[in-house]
Amino acid sequence: MPGSEPIIRVDGLVKTFRSPRRHPGPLGALRTLFTREYTVKSAVDGISFNVDRGELIGYIGPNGAGKSTTIKMLTGILVPTSGELRVAGLVPWMHREENALNIGVVFGQRSQLWWDLPLIESFELVAKMYRIAPERYGRDLGRFRELLGLDEFIATPVRQLSLGQRMRGDLTAALLHDPRVVYLDEPTVGLDVVAKERIRTFIEEINRERGTTVILTTHDLADVERLCRRIILIDQGKVLYDGTVERLTASYAPDRVLVVRLASDSANDGTNERPLDLPGVEVAQREAGSIRLRFDPAVMPAPTLINEVVRRYSVSDLSILEPDLESVIRELYERRSAVP
Amino acid sequence: MTRFTLSFDLWMAGLRGTLQYRTDTFIVIVMALAFQGTGFAFIWVVLSRFGSLAGWTLGQVAFLYGLRLIVHAVAGVLTGPFFGLEQQVRTGEFDRYLVRPLSPLLQFMTQRVEISIFGDLLGGIAIFVVADQLVGLAWTPLAFAYLVLAIAGGALVEGATRILIGALSFRFLASQSLLFLGDSVFSTFANYPLTIFGGILRFLFTFAFPLAFVAYIPASVLLGRTAELQVEPLLAYLAPVVGIIWIAASVRVFDRELRNYQSAGH
Ligand SMILES: Nc1ncnc2c1ncn2[C@@H]1O[C@H](COP(=O)(O)OP(=O)(O)OP(=O)(O)O)[C@@H](O)[C@H]1O
Ligand SMILES: [Mg+2]
Repeated sequence: MPGSEPIIRVDGLVKTFRSPRRHPGPLGALRTLFTREYTVKSAVDGISFNVDRGELIGYIGPNGAGKSTTIKMLTGILVPTSGELRVAGLVPWMHREENALNIGVVFGQRSQLWWDLPLIESFELVAKMYRIAPERYGRDLGRFRELLGLDEFIATPVRQLSLGQRMRGDLTAALLHDPRVVYLDEPTVGLDVVAKERIRTFIEEINRERGTTVILTTHDLADVERLCRRIILIDQGKVLYDGTVERLTASYAPDRVLVVRLASDSANDGTNERPLDLPGVEVAQREAGSIRLRFDPAVMPAPTLINEVVRRYSVSDLSILEPDLESVIRELYERRSAVP
Repeated sequence: MTRFTLSFDLWMAGLRGTLQYRTDTFIVIVMALAFQGTGFAFIWVVLSRFGSLAGWTLGQVAFLYGLRLIVHAVAGVLTGPFFGLEQQVRTGEFDRYLVRPLSPLLQFMTQRVEISIFGDLLGGIAIFVVADQLVGLAWTPLAFAYLVLAIAGGALVEGATRILIGALSFRFLASQSLLFLGDSVFSTFANYPLTIFGGILRFLFTFAFPLAFVAYIPASVLLGRTAELQVEPLLAYLAPVVGIIWIAASVRVFDRELRNYQSAGH
């Protein structure tokens, strides 16, 4: 929404963790105990971004990039070391209880439900905490029961729920009070395909119907491709990329792949042929019955390449693979580990 | 007031959760009773031998002991979970209290209920009632009101001490052993007339660390033994107020220390 104030403003956000330096050796533990030396680790190292109302953002990065740490600062769990941070106008850690009214949080790795009680009791306690009016509670819970299929286990104690059931419970508990912003930190981790799809549909629905702003952290890029227009890619506590998914794939992986399936009646697998030395084309993979050619469409337009291929090989089938987010991200992560 | 009813609802939920484990509940209550019973049996034996302890009769010592047990149980209603705080801070489980619209301290304290408080309460009331028969106090409404306030004040002092020690968890990721130490200081020094411990300890526990206000001073007031106290008689009646001051300070420290919470990577 142009002109309106961003709902989340992050500017130069830093979080460093301090832990006592460990000393090796037999007396090491003792030295560690009395030491005043600390190792300092910057988990988040100067991150800035704005989020508008109603956006659904994929917040991604490799393990240890600082995603969860950022989310914990946005939710008010951690106090930033430095930098500016406002969510709906509030400094989260300073106005923790007020901020809590505006937000919902799900940590996929850890439940916030009442472990020993039937799931429904967690919802009732949440309703009390946020003073949700009874009619609204009834209506919204009904909707969530339907969307997430909660009925079959709503009376079961949380500790007896499967991971997927528990996650659906956690999502409900985080969204019942209709928060303006939700933070979902790996909500699909460890779930099967069907459960993942259900949760994706749910997130999409909430974002569309209620205009809830969603910050989604995940390692499953299918989540991102399915749900997010915009991604923020971070690594080692810094923003590497902030923009649309399309622009990322276009700028980091312009190459496409032509999969050539060779006619089975032809005895050769292409190895005997002349080498394919065309500009902007390289053989990505060669195995019995098929060849994969990586090409840059700016240098070698697809029709030209296909013509060349058909001329040289006896081809039974052709297909072109668009670059997917996963290969882009993989390449980015690898490029990073190559440069120390 | 909604804050109060909400906390009550959360506490009841914590209790329901704990009561899911019936056998454990039963064992814990019996253990608490046995533990406190043994402690008291020891004094009984000693006193029936020597007749009195620093001028306190058996009935008076029992009165003090019972009062302090009741205070201990009441303090545990909200501060029982503190023994688990260190663990919750280390694992990052504490996160959950920081994203809901109620003070993290209240949420933490109502998350589960320490069942042993029911054993302590039963034992404390039993000893107190017997002791009351022995000393034969004439209860006026005023004395009874003072008793109630003194129990609340004592519970605040003891609870506040746990909150203060627990607050160390956020910075040092450790508090449990200190909490145990604190508890044993209370049960060593608050259960008996402080007069048996000599002047310096008495002075410290009155003016430096208000342990005397937990049960010893209120019991002295109720038993009409204010003459031996180191405080002005009037001040002795203010024991409940000490609890309020102490709790206010400890809550501030807790909130302040909370800023050092680092969660856990995940
Ligand atoms: N409580 C903590 N104390 C010390 N170091 C921490 C703590 N939490 C995180 N870190 C460190 O900060 C860095 C960022 O961690 P963070 O949990 O934010 O990563 P992440 O992007 O969420 O990774 P993942 O995808 O593995 O969940 C890591 O190097 C981690 O070791
Ligand atoms: Mg994480």
